Amino acid sequence: MKSNFLKLVLPAFAILLAVGLAFATEESNLPYVGYIATQSGYAEIQTDCPNLGEGYCYEGLDQVFNDSGLTDPKRTWD
Amino acid sequence: MSFKGIYSKLVTLFSFLLTILFTYTAVSKLNHLDLFQWRLERMPYISSYASLISWGVPFLELVIAGLLWFPKYRTMSLYASLILLGSFTTYIIVVLKYSESIPCSCGGVISVLGWRDHILLNISFMVLSLMGILWSKKQYNIQTNQNTVQ
Repeated sequence: MKSNFLKLVLPAFAILLAVGLAFATEESNLPYVGYIATQSGYAEIQTDCPNLGEGYCYEGLDQVFNDSGLTDPKRTWD
Repeated sequence: MSFKGIYSKLVTLFSFLLTILFTYTAVSKLNHLDLFQWRLERMPYISSYASLISWGVPFLELVIAGLLWFPKYRTMSLYASLILLGSFTTYIIVVLKYSESIPCSCGGVISVLGWRDHILLNISFMVLSLMGILWSKKQYNIQTNQNTVQ
């Protein structure tokens, strides 16, 4: 009985828990919106920078900002 | 409680934790496969293999998570966990050291972690895998000794 519990219920519980967690935290897996400077003003882009941490966020050579006015630099982990 | 019982329970606990980790990250990736591929295409050194990795890694994670629960394949899956986590951790360290571009391609809520925390998390799970391998062997040796005595 105890052996069956370990063999069947425990892995099933682990898998269900993980799948549930994956769907529950789905939103945190999506990219964030950011803005970069272009010749014509700004462009909206998708970025992985979570706006946490101390470093500045870059997409290639372009610095990423939180606002279209390009005044609030988006942050990322150093 | 006998040593055999303790080792067995601990290896089961490690398998449980590794199953949660691998299933969680695999489902998070498969849920937004196009996004995962887009992220991989922007990662240094591996961008040309983005398509292969985007399918291969979640598939491998799910296979390992499943095999951890078959006693016959448990040690092998613990080795596979150690290798997979080790490869990813090595890659992160190399990218952090030698590359300027470090977009995150990690799964789910783990992506909120900084790189250092991410490395620490990976190392913790690598230690669990390693201990699981050692204790699986120990458990096997105890069983073999008991069978020899009987």
